[in-house]
Amino acid sequence: MANLKEYPRNRKDSKFGKIAIDRDLCIGAASCLAVSGATYELDGENKAIVTGADAADDATLQMSAESCPTKAILLFDKSGKQVFPK
Amino acid sequence: MQGFKYLIIGGGAAGVSAADAIRQNNAAGSIAIVSDEPYMLYSRVMLSKPNFFLGKVPFDQVWLKGEEWYKDKNIAFLGGKTATALDVAAKTVSLSNGDKISYDKLLIATGVNTRKINIPGADKKGVHYLRSLEDGKAIMAGIKTAKHAVTVGGGFIGFEMADLMQLAGLDTTVIILEPYFWDPVLDEAGGLMIERAMQKAGVKIIKNAEIVEITGDKAVNEIVLKDGRRLPCEMIIYGIGTIANLDWLKTAGLTTHRGLVANEFMETSLPGVWTAGDIAEYKDLILGENVVMGNWVSAHEQGRIAGLGMAGKRQAFRFVSFYTTQGFDTRVAFVGDASPSPGRVVIPRGSPEIGSYARIILANGEVEGATLLNRTQEMGAISKLIERNIDVSARHKELGNADFDLKKLLE
Repeated sequence: MANLKEYPRNRKDSKFGKIAIDRDLCIGAASCLAVSGATYELDGENKAIVTGADAADDATLQMSAESCPTKAILLFDKSGKQVFPK
Repeated sequence: MQGFKYLIIGGGAAGVSAADAIRQNNAAGSIAIVSDEPYMLYSRVMLSKPNFFLGKVPFDQVWLKGEEWYKDKNIAFLGGKTATALDVAAKTVSLSNGDKISYDKLLIATGVNTRKINIPGADKKGVHYLRSLEDGKAIMAGIKTAKHAVTVGGGFIGFEMADLMQLAGLDTTVIILEPYFWDPVLDEAGGLMIERAMQKAGVKIIKNAEIVEITGDKAVNEIVLKDGRRLPCEMIIYGIGTIANLDWLKTAGLTTHRGLVANEFMETSLPGVWTAGDIAEYKDLILGENVVMGNWVSAHEQGRIAGLGMAGKRQAFRFVSFYTTQGFDTRVAFVGDASPSPGRVVIPRGSPEIGSYARIILANGEVEGATLLNRTQEMGAISKLIERNIDVSARHKELGNADFDLKKLLE
């Protein structure tokens, strides 16, 4: 079972309702921080955490998830359906 | 002759990120990616991670972009072909299979090759390097049968491969030429902290040493060190640096140095030719110097900037690079330019004794880089300090106080 940590996203102008980090997959490569330092940070275990779920617009958020070299960032739409990775 | 508006040589993170950025800004222009590997984009980063090797992460997780993605974006993928010559006047690239492709705009994102050793026995089965997925598969197969394993080199590959080997239950020895691990990026105290973590897990470390001969029939069964010592060994992984293949680019008239030289827009010395990723030696606006920054995050970002430029949306690359890893219950991060050049001030933060040790590197009153051991949670704040060129000349005390929250310096 994936070790998912979930972060609700409440931006009205967003199609995404939730961001999740799979902590088993995350290796702390931090490409997500590079794309959006306002959304993510690393914690003491060298895993990405979301500290600003509403900080980035959808395009930037999508790009941050796509930049992850281990596909550890999952994006869900408002109905709770996973939309990335497909 | 086949022709594309945008031709990208290199199918890794930089090349694919460039293609994506081009497509987002130009829906119709033809794009092709040429790769010397047969595979579409996979995670080169994952190749060195123990969880992947040991099967804790499913193998298929390595694939980042499938056929569908290239098709959706209308990007042609020409795999298994190496670019061998470039004619900038005719705007053509020759490939290893004899084909010639014309382009309007060209990106060179070929990455680098692993540095190989040249000693007797270097071609024996069981001698490994790690660059490609094929290399990764060979290592995965090797750890299943080897009993004694050796890694050579005191950097990321050596660290991660030693972790993998000991987790796989192999008798593991690390051989480094230097007096301590990760010299000179870490100071000696930091290097010894890493060594203690490795030794605690059962890894042996031999310093100031090099292998002069590899013996065995067809496969490795022993190594000989310079001082005459012999060690049994069925598997060796070398992580001793990289070499950029610049000859064909130099011949084409492009300026090369340590890498393919570019400005802050990732434009090379000749019009119509961009570069990105590990091969690029670009002007770093934040550090104010020419740098080669070989890591996934930089490759991804540089590719995006080059792609934007190729699509007519020129933007400067302004980015604080970083790289992290973990192993032996130790988390390591390097941020910005962490090399301790003369004239730089190094502020220690925490200590190896408490198992949490950072060094913050300052030049002209500003943070330029940092090394973080078990303090990766400070990476975000430190990269912002570097990026914003914040004057910290009067804040040495806070920087050196391990309990002080660095985010307060950003306020």
